[in-house]
Amino acid sequence: MKRTLLALSTVAAFAAVAADDPKQRQDLAAVIALQGKPCGEVVSYVAKADNDFVAICKDGNRYRVYVKDGRVIVEKQ
Amino acid sequence: MGARFLMGSVSSGFAALVIVAGCGVVSPPPPTPPPAVEPKAAAKPDAPKAIPPKPATPQTAKAAPPTTSPAPVAAKGPALDLRSLEQRLKDTNAIGVMTKLSLKNQVDDLVAQFRAFHDGHRPPTLTELRRPFELLLMKVLSLLQDQDPALANQINASREAIWSLLSDRDKLAPYL
Repeated sequence: MKRTLLALSTVAAFAAVAADDPKQRQDLAAVIALQGKPCGEVVSYVAKADNDFVAICKDGNRYRVYVKDGRVIVEKQ
Repeated sequence: MGARFLMGSVSSGFAALVIVAGCGVVSPPPPTPPPAVEPKAAAKPDAPKAIPPKPATPQTAKAAPPTTSPAPVAAKGPALDLRSLEQRLKDTNAIGVMTKLSLKNQVDDLVAQFRAFHDGHRPPTLTELRRPFELLLMKVLSLLQDQDPALANQINASREAIWSLLSDRDKLAPYL
């Protein structure tokens, strides 16, 4: 049972891939800024799915940035 | 797949923006009305003839003589090719995909406000719409200016034309 849980958590950890594409970081930073939310600079992000990210800002803010019904949504986390 | 969908929707949204932008450029805006500073003689009756020997700065020193043709100051870019601008906006690497989509959302929202205005809803008056229009244009320009300054300049040059298109119901109708 313990092993199964461990395996599952490992899989889950890999499912949300932390990535470091500078272009993607800039894109996320621009999106967050366009929505008028404080961030400054995105220092890292996690890709949860297609067009679904969690961006971590330099100032400590975290935002989920995703697309829903053709709109880009930025949610503070 | 998601990215492909995004690009499609971004393309169409941006096409609308470009069409709006490009259409405006056909007739460049009357950017800066010539400064009404001609009554120079009234201030100093005997001064005007003393200045000519010092033509160091062409704009300020040559105000009096009638040779004031070299003042097409504001960015009067070449006539804009709509299709190429559209393509350039789609292709530009200055703006990421999600940013393009986010901009498209905001353009759509603004156009919806103009549509409401043209439909007779008055909370947003034309004067009130000017501010969000300028704000959105500034966002676009600030995103483009560092990495695609030429495109930013072209869009900036068509600012007034875009405004005149948006604020004119008949001009806007074909693009809705």
